[in-house]
Amino acid sequence: MVVKALRTHQAWLMPETLKFHFTPVDEVRADEKNVHEKASTNVADTIETLKKQFPGDIEDIFVYAGEYTAFVKRESLLEVCAALKESLGFSYLVDLAGIDHFREDAPRYEVYYGLVNLDTGKRLRLKVLLDEDDAVVPSLTGLFKAADWNERECFDMLGIQFDGHPDLRRMYMPEDFEYYPQRKEFPLLGIPGSLPLPPRTPEGGLTMDPFAAARRGSPAKSYQEPEGEVD
Amino acid sequence: MSVATPYQDAVFSFWPRHNETLIKRLESKDAWLSTKRGFEVSRIEDALEHEMILNIGPQHPATHGVLRCVVKLDGERIEKCVLDIGYLHRGIEKLAESKTYQEFMPYTDRMDYLSPYANNVAWCMAVEKLANIEVPERAQWIRMIMCELARISSHMLWLGVGLMDAGAVSVFLWTFQGREDLYSIFDEVSGARFTVSHSRIGGLATDLSPTAIRMIKDFATRYKEIIKGWQKLLNRNRIWIDRNKDIGMVSKEEAIELGLTGPNLRGSGVAYDIRTFEPYLKYDDVDFTIPLRDEGDCLARYHIRVEEMLESIRIIDQCLDRLPKGPIRTDDAKKAYPSKDEVYYSMEGMIHDFMYTETGVAPPKGASSYHAIESPKGELGFYLESDGTGSPWRARLNAPSFTNLQGLESIMEGHPIADIVVLIGSIDPVMGEADR
Repeated sequence: MVVKALRTHQAWLMPETLKFHFTPVDEVRADEKNVHEKASTNVADTIETLKKQFPGDIEDIFVYAGEYTAFVKRESLLEVCAALKESLGFSYLVDLAGIDHFREDAPRYEVYYGLVNLDTGKRLRLKVLLDEDDAVVPSLTGLFKAADWNERECFDMLGIQFDGHPDLRRMYMPEDFEYYPQRKEFPLLGIPGSLPLPPRTPEGGLTMDPFAAARRGSPAKSYQEPEGEVD
Repeated sequence: MSVATPYQDAVFSFWPRHNETLIKRLESKDAWLSTKRGFEVSRIEDALEHEMILNIGPQHPATHGVLRCVVKLDGERIEKCVLDIGYLHRGIEKLAESKTYQEFMPYTDRMDYLSPYANNVAWCMAVEKLANIEVPERAQWIRMIMCELARISSHMLWLGVGLMDAGAVSVFLWTFQGREDLYSIFDEVSGARFTVSHSRIGGLATDLSPTAIRMIKDFATRYKEIIKGWQKLLNRNRIWIDRNKDIGMVSKEEAIELGLTGPNLRGSGVAYDIRTFEPYLKYDDVDFTIPLRDEGDCLARYHIRVEEMLESIRIIDQCLDRLPKGPIRTDDAKKAYPSKDEVYYSMEGMIHDFMYTETGVAPPKGASSYHAIESPKGELGFYLESDGTGSPWRARLNAPSFTNLQGLESIMEGHPIADIVVLIGSIDPVMGEADR
């Protein structure tokens, strides 16, 4: 798998960190009542309607802190969203983003959609699971114009392709940049040479690695050190 | 004759493909709003005389930061517009993944740097929801006061700078006097004027001092009158109205379609304010109204923001009256920092403080939640996903300026070039937030 290859590939980029596992990891408990639960996120009835309308397309429901997340099959995402928009009143798309789970046993990527019903005051979240080898989702720009930039951002940061997007350019990084920085295998200090910056001295060359000091290299100084008096 | 240094060569060859794709997009783009309304762009044969591609920004004072607009002009009218953002991209979503929840909080100051307190509170509340942490009453009321002060501060800057964009300099000086007073309050409350970092997970860093309460009271009473004075100056000001009326019209349906948030959405008649949509803190206990206008033009957005300032003062007055006594941080060492007294005088407190700095809160594995507040710019939400450790697996920041800027790209098309500055001002983007 690519993930495994990248993990080993990453080893030379990351400084050795101290492994320090003393925190007991809690699991999500279904009986726990969250004090911040809001009435607006209780959309059990909408999800029931969806389940009836699209039998088999809603794969799973996850509830945490009173928030409902419906996992939708990728093939039927457009139909589900169209039904939500046209007949169930979820016409306002507030959020869209991708998540990199970086795991081998389950689909690696997730894309989530935050939808709001302005009339009844409800908030719903849809999720689509994506395999690493086939990270393509149908674009929602035809239904919600607001999805445009969010999808571009998701593509820019995670490299997820949006099928049918009219303008899938990068959002933040320049087009010349070749990596997807929010993937988990991308090193926090960047990849030297991928993003050249202006020179630090008037005669110098481009700064290929702005974080050379963090890698224990010597950074070029923007001023001239006075000679002598060095012990 | 100048000799090209290697530096100049390097500068001129930066990101060639990026600019190419921008121009390509400009040519191939469909002006959505104009097409929808059947707006006719006059097609003149002699393109050399009338067509022009103009690049505004990223270094331009009227773009309120580093926003780059590439516009295609037909005479004086904007035919198409492409916005290029990312000049302030720091990748804070990625940074959050390697910080503990509490460690990341100061980074939120640098998002919408005109209202840092609201961002702090948004982040802390998102973490509190994810980890199920209760916040004491007093802390909630204080957070509300400070969030509303942040809203006033942000709207004051918007008003002053917006008017300066339209050519009036004096209001800029007045609103900055107001912001100076607000900075003094923030300084007294948190010890920092600009990047406050005062909210903590599970409560606040420090309580309000009597001086701070006095200063806030004084501010609220004085500025009620002062803001009304600004309204007197501007509401019937011929120049200000002519520059704003019927400019940047967005209908109700278009606003929802474009995904606008905050005052921009409410200026088009959509009553979506998270303070009433899903009340957080104590907003369901206080009495206030959400200003709403149907016109959907720049003037409506102006009215909404100024009225919001007055409403904020109303909220602050009520909060000060009802401020309860009690602790300002939850007393659970697994969920919030212990008080400094405990840290200095007890061994357990010391250990808890160390553990909280080292690991902090650890929400259950696989938990995910989204929490949004109504920041001055609109819906500011955090989607967090936990892997059971002390730092988030994924921290997603839903920035209102980003969504509003997306709308601006469509709104600009069809307007005269002189309105660009007013339009950017009325949408009120902050690039620190839009670029994440």
